[in-house]
Amino acid sequence: MIKSVIAAPQVTLLMRTLSDPTRRAIYERIITAREATVVALTQHAGVSQPAVSQHLKALQDAKLVSGRRDGRNTFYHATAQGLAPLTRWLQHYEQYWMQSFDRLDDYLTELQRGKKKRGRRK
Amino acid sequence: MAVGNKPDLVITRVFDAPRSLVFAAWTDSKHLAQWWGPRDFTNARCEVDARPGGIIRIDMCGPDGTIYPMTGTFDEIVEPERIVMTNVAIADDAGNPLLEVRNTITFVEANGKTALTMTAHVIKATPEAAFALDGMEEGWKQTLERLADFVKTG
Repeated sequence: MIKSVIAAPQVTLLMRTLSDPTRRAIYERIITAREATVVALTQHAGVSQPAVSQHLKALQDAKLVSGRRDGRNTFYHATAQGLAPLTRWLQHYEQYWMQSFDRLDDYLTELQRGKKKRGRRK
Repeated sequence: MAVGNKPDLVITRVFDAPRSLVFAAWTDSKHLAQWWGPRDFTNARCEVDARPGGIIRIDMCGPDGTIYPMTGTFDEIVEPERIVMTNVAIADDAGNPLLEVRNTITFVEANGKTALTMTAHVIKATPEAAFALDGMEEGWKQTLERLADFVKTG
């Protein structure tokens, strides 16, 4: 769990993905509509269909959106856990510090015992 | 997660050690390298220039050997009672900060023990981060609620 704190690439990816206002609008539209095709999304996006497809690809790469194929159409929907890494980030940050402070506690105890050793592990 | 005066995170911890030692544990790289980071991490590189404007740079090494660099700048150093530093919490691939956190660490000694309080404020770094933070506070909540509804009913 802690790994994802520091290894924040998912969070970085989400931030980068959602930093584009047009893409964000498409994402919100998908959430509101529950399911939407490229054609439907293009009607509202104010950009060309290829541009919408590009945004959809970026949203899929970030695992915010996934597509369901039905005949000639692909219906896009928002994934359930898509935004979770972003919303959990602060909790992870707290964990990161709590664990550091545990280690600091041990280290201070050790220092005062005068038993400092290099490369100790917990 | 708030961007403003309200802290985003406050952690208080009492250490059974005099304040001067606890403070030194933050400003001396030899000490810092021994405790910084999550369990089972080691610090392959640890550089600390503990003065206002000075840089802190720690390369944390995960159990699988992956290196996670952490950088920051000291905003204030008031020995032995207060440290303020700004850390890059999330950076993009090129190392540009997407999200920064200002951490204020205070040290209060009582009866030979030291109470350490860390207060973290998320500060905006880039439009991306600003969006993510503002979003989480306002619009995203609604979006998430809609998403939750969708997941429930869909």
